[in-house]
Amino acid sequence: MDELKIVGKSVPQLDALEKAMGKTRFVSDLVLPNMLHGKILRSPHPHARILHIDTSRAERVRGVKAVATYSDTPGIKYGPRTEDWTIFAADKARFCGDEIAAVAAVDEDTAEEALELIRVEYEPLPFVVDPVEAMREGAPLVHEDKPGNVAFEFKVEVGDVDRALADSHVVYEDRYYTNQVHQAYLEPMGAVAEVDASGRFLLWVGTQIPNMMRMTYAKALNVSADRIRVMVPDYGGAFGAKMENNVHLLAAILAKKAGKPVRLFYDRHEDFIAGNPRVPMYIEIKLGADRDGILTGKDVRIVGGAGARVVYAHAIVSTACYRVDSLYRFKNVRSKGYTVYTNTVPTSCFRGFGNSQMTFVLESALDMIADQLGMDPVELRIKNGIGPNEVSVHGWEIKSCGLKECVLRAAEAANWREKRQKKQPLRGIGLSCCNHVSGNRAFVKEFDGGAGIVRVGRDGRITVYHGESDMGQGQKTTFAQIVAERLGVPLETVCVAPVDTDISPFGMGSFATRGTLMGGNGVLAAADDAFKQLAKVAADLLEADPEDMVCREGSFFVSGSPQKSMPFQKVADQAAILRSGAPVVGNGFYTPPTVLPDPNTKYGNISPAYPFACQIAEVEVDPDTGQVNVLDFTAAHDVGRAINPLATDGQIQGGVVQGLGWTLMENMVTENGKIANPDFLDYVIPTAMDVPPIKSILVEPVDPNGPYGAKGIGEPALNPSMSAITNAIFDATGIRVKNLPVSPEKILEELKRRKA
Amino acid sequence: MKIPMTLVVNGEDFSLEVAPNRTLVDVLREDLGLIGTKKGCGAGKCGSCTVLMNGRPVNSCLILAVQAEGAQILTIESVADKDPHPLQIAFAEKGAIQCGYCTPGMVLTAKALLDENPSPDEGKIKEAIAGNLCRCTGYNKIVEAIMACASGNRE
Repeated sequence: MDELKIVGKSVPQLDALEKAMGKTRFVSDLVLPNMLHGKILRSPHPHARILHIDTSRAERVRGVKAVATYSDTPGIKYGPRTEDWTIFAADKARFCGDEIAAVAAVDEDTAEEALELIRVEYEPLPFVVDPVEAMREGAPLVHEDKPGNVAFEFKVEVGDVDRALADSHVVYEDRYYTNQVHQAYLEPMGAVAEVDASGRFLLWVGTQIPNMMRMTYAKALNVSADRIRVMVPDYGGAFGAKMENNVHLLAAILAKKAGKPVRLFYDRHEDFIAGNPRVPMYIEIKLGADRDGILTGKDVRIVGGAGARVVYAHAIVSTACYRVDSLYRFKNVRSKGYTVYTNTVPTSCFRGFGNSQMTFVLESALDMIADQLGMDPVELRIKNGIGPNEVSVHGWEIKSCGLKECVLRAAEAANWREKRQKKQPLRGIGLSCCNHVSGNRAFVKEFDGGAGIVRVGRDGRITVYHGESDMGQGQKTTFAQIVAERLGVPLETVCVAPVDTDISPFGMGSFATRGTLMGGNGVLAAADDAFKQLAKVAADLLEADPEDMVCREGSFFVSGSPQKSMPFQKVADQAAILRSGAPVVGNGFYTPPTVLPDPNTKYGNISPAYPFACQIAEVEVDPDTGQVNVLDFTAAHDVGRAINPLATDGQIQGGVVQGLGWTLMENMVTENGKIANPDFLDYVIPTAMDVPPIKSILVEPVDPNGPYGAKGIGEPALNPSMSAITNAIFDATGIRVKNLPVSPEKILEELKRRKA
Repeated sequence: MKIPMTLVVNGEDFSLEVAPNRTLVDVLREDLGLIGTKKGCGAGKCGSCTVLMNGRPVNSCLILAVQAEGAQILTIESVADKDPHPLQIAFAEKGAIQCGYCTPGMVLTAKALLDENPSPDEGKIKEAIAGNLCRCTGYNKIVEAIMACASGNRE
């Protein structure tokens, strides 16, 4: 292959300077003429029957243009997967924060004043906040039709787990808990909604899934999907949270009732109590190994809290049940997962999607096995790690696999051997690996894949259309790099259009670390198509064969005869002239070679490419406070090929710091059924003062299925971080952290107990 | 009841009538259309609303508009003149920007730091931006970008 000119190069984000200058218009900056401001009235009770709502006084407030409740909605049950949602609570409030009513007014103050005048009569009911408690007999039922509050049960079993464990030389068995944490993106959730003259809903939303969301909302609003248009301006982060949420539908209902555009965004407090935080999980694991350290069998039981309605928790719990099975050469595995309703805020996607929770547990368990066997954790990974061109226990076809290289290079860069041997009191080093997917066929029934449109105007300007979502990870630039590379033009001539569901392809969106591979392959196919059309025009101009045309650095020329050349812009110009002004439009799509897994056995290759990683953390534990300080961090990631190494590094840094936050400081605390710390004062996320040096290493085995060999980075950046830190704590103190976040008090207690 | 007042923002005088309970961030964004200043928490914890008040970085969500009368307010829109500021270029080139929501606040805080202390070390930089939360980048590249602009480091 010729040397790549643009793909594989570190370039600043296309929109970085604009962002640095404060010129970017984020979704919450949008102002429309006659725009009203919305506010939501929420249930103060975690579980209550709604007896009566009186909005009459609120409606009479000057400046209030609409007050809405459940009776203003089509009253249809819907949901992204499980139809247990309603727009506004109908008969019951099911969590503290559940939407009861909403107001649209000329300004926020007026809307708030009106909220206070809405009278709601509640009959409080017993409530349950813990998913294990919720499964017990006699627990209050969140949804009457779900006995034991179990929304979903997932089961997978391959081989003979009991026999494998019985025959093992060592077996480790324990119970872990990964807590509920919040994505804490800086721009709160919300939307601007308007109903146009034809009655169509127009939604400006910062969303990862503009198209999938539209399908869900069509049901909720009782319209066909073509009656909803979703437009995605730049938005301030998501990390999984910005998928479906009632805030968008409330804005739509208010806009319809008021007959004016409505701006409805959460304040920070609301975002905590009504956003989509991470699924908390109780995870029991039983893991066996033979004398040589080969893993024999694994048995897992997971109970995950869905909250008051299922968003994607069931898919997250099932992912937690079996994604890690394809990290090592497991032959005997069994997992059971329960997705359980509780009277708490509905939980949903957060970077890792269940794989982060389970990776924390599995990698902790491997660390314990290594300890029991007296084996170096590096060696344990090398012995068991899956390799290139292997098929995992669930039929996942691993093509490229840089896992071993990640482990070895991370260990070398972190001075692993030396640090492990030099036993310093209260100082330790820990290692953790992960696998992930680049897209997940099991997630959506209809299809997986990507599509693109590449428009080349008469002026030579190239516009790329796609249906995915840039939440800040740099997707726009990645797509532009791919298209610029394929067309052979300077990066500056390519721009990426914002996603508008009226114009863009039906992209599935950004989740499951699929953007680069699926969206990237989609725009690459479109660029390919555009190139072929332009090559024909260029060939005519240069009196050559279209097959012989190449384009490099903005010039078409005949392969082998670079002196016979024509600027790209001239070719584009000529193409338009020949076609009465019609631009060259390249259309393309990518269908991955994946299958829906067997519904019973779960067997089937669900992703075209699998990224891997190894992370190593070095910590110091303060003997007087129990606090853990992360001194150093190394992260080696198999990304296939880094389209933009600078951006890939940025993702790794961001993921590691989120993992650090989750491990050491973040916790959504529930007291009496309410979230006690819905603000940045008491929900603490890392600041610049909390961050160690983070060395990232890019491993690039070049995957056959990725665009220019690229896989993904978004979620793997976080998956191993938590256990890397807790494994280091174990090395430093012998204390095994089984519950996130680490509690300095518990560490201190344990240190004192050991001294005594 | 609205109070007539003058705000001096980015070197320009604005005559306004402002309700006394309105915050500076809201007046900047809604009345003056200066949307570069962001709202991330409304409680002075995230720093997205950072503006410079007489040269010092402040959380404009915690300042009443009426309190800002008589002060020189600088928002992100004032940082570039004909060309982007070296900090803005460094942020872009070092990969210190992902979603960009924290960026205006970060740039202003960094500018205030370098205006006062042209050669801060890494520790001083981290202290200075400790009040600006970022969830995307993990901060290291932001620190690098600011470091690159410290005198002695600039190309």
